[in-house]
Amino acid sequence: MQFDWTTFVLEVLNFLVLLWILKRFLYQPVLDVLDARQARIKAEMAQAEKLQDDAAALGKQYAERLAQWAQEREQLRQQLQQDLAQQRASGMEKIRQSLSDEEAKARVRNAATTASHEAELIRQAADQAYADVAAMLARLASPMLTASIVRVLLEDLAALPKEQRESLRSAAEKVAAATAEVASAHPLDDAAQQEIARGLAAVAGRKLPLAVSSDPALIAGVRIAVGECLLHANLLDELAFFRRPDGQS
Amino acid sequence: MNTGELGGSVVFHLGPLAITDTVLTTWGVMLCLAIAALLLRYRLALLPSRRQTIAEGIVAVIERAIGEVLPADAVRRVLPFVATLWIFVLTANLAGLVPGLHAPTRDLSATAALAALVFASTHWYGIRSKGLRAYLRHYAEPSLILLPFHVISELTRTLALAIRLFGNIMSLEMAALLVLLIAGFLVPVPLLMLHVIEAVVQAYIFGILALIYIAGAIEPIATQERPGEAPSPTFAKSKNKEES
Repeated sequence: MQFDWTTFVLEVLNFLVLLWILKRFLYQPVLDVLDARQARIKAEMAQAEKLQDDAAALGKQYAERLAQWAQEREQLRQQLQQDLAQQRASGMEKIRQSLSDEEAKARVRNAATTASHEAELIRQAADQAYADVAAMLARLASPMLTASIVRVLLEDLAALPKEQRESLRSAAEKVAAATAEVASAHPLDDAAQQEIARGLAAVAGRKLPLAVSSDPALIAGVRIAVGECLLHANLLDELAFFRRPDGQS
Repeated sequence: MNTGELGGSVVFHLGPLAITDTVLTTWGVMLCLAIAALLLRYRLALLPSRRQTIAEGIVAVIERAIGEVLPADAVRRVLPFVATLWIFVLTANLAGLVPGLHAPTRDLSATAALAALVFASTHWYGIRSKGLRAYLRHYAEPSLILLPFHVISELTRTLALAIRLFGNIMSLEMAALLVLLIAGFLVPVPLLMLHVIEAVVQAYIFGILALIYIAGAIEPIATQERPGEAPSPTFAKSKNKEES
């Protein structure tokens, strides 16, 4: 075991030099690189955390938007359902109103049709009755019936109201010829013609010459025309009177 | 391995200086490490290559090992010295495996130089850490009577540091030489494997002891300033290693 001071001193110096070299060219650069990498990793981690936070915020915002859209969609759907319900109710009301109108129109139409049919049936019944009565009266008609009708006519003339009496007189005055045209279903005898002339003269206030003619269509009785005034005293006109719906003479 | 004597043999003289093979081997080791450091230095990048990854791994492991013993603010300050100790002692130990060379650490002058550097650096870091007066005061604590024992402890542990490394490496080479002389050519090969293990272990022990000594010079501040607080488990573990 030897100890050499020169070697000792040189080894000390050698170590110090090596320490300087390694510190300058190995430790410090490597540590700098490690620190830089660490700083870079930290920065990237911070960036990643920031991105993660941003992503979380965006995700939250997206979820809120989705919830908001769902709420808006629900509101729009409810509004649409309300509109549809209103339109449906309005349409149903219109349809109901239209049906009601149509029903009223149909009812009126049916009533009119029924009334028309009833009127037609009444008319046909009246025609039929008229025809039947006319046929029956035609079989019953006779000069005696005509004489009876003339007698009734004369009684009615005697009891004629004042207004009608004035009308007849006025009509007689307007006629220039001043004749009374008498149509008879059966031939009138002289006595009957004179009775008629006297009855007319009593009403008209003057004597009216008669122009007697025969008209078998009258069935029985006479029809006297004084100017514009007609006196119906025959079965044909009576039947026609009953045949008229309003029943006016 | 060289079959020389226990100390270094003088190779040539440089003026008044006698250059031994220990110094020459040390220069060779220094040259190799410097070239490797320079090559690595100019190829550093944030995206590391395989070599850079290895270098970063070595530096990071050393930094973590120091960080387990020292407070965080002192790690970067102590790292160059302790890391250089580890790297140099390991390389110097392994240099004995190269035919024609012998490990510089089989020379007591070299190990004594390293121990003296550890001794000096311990006080240097201690004084830098807490000031000259406070540092010197801790030798007289807890009682002035313990001052001689502290001084003796400082000297003996430095001596032990030098002798331990020198004795282990020298005895290993000597054993390999004896086996080679007695048994034959290939028989020392298992012993060379043992040399590798021993080189690593001795480098680790030398470096960790230096680290513990430096930590001991720095740490008392904390323990003195906080008397009720127990030393950290890591530090206690390192102390146990030293005792073992």
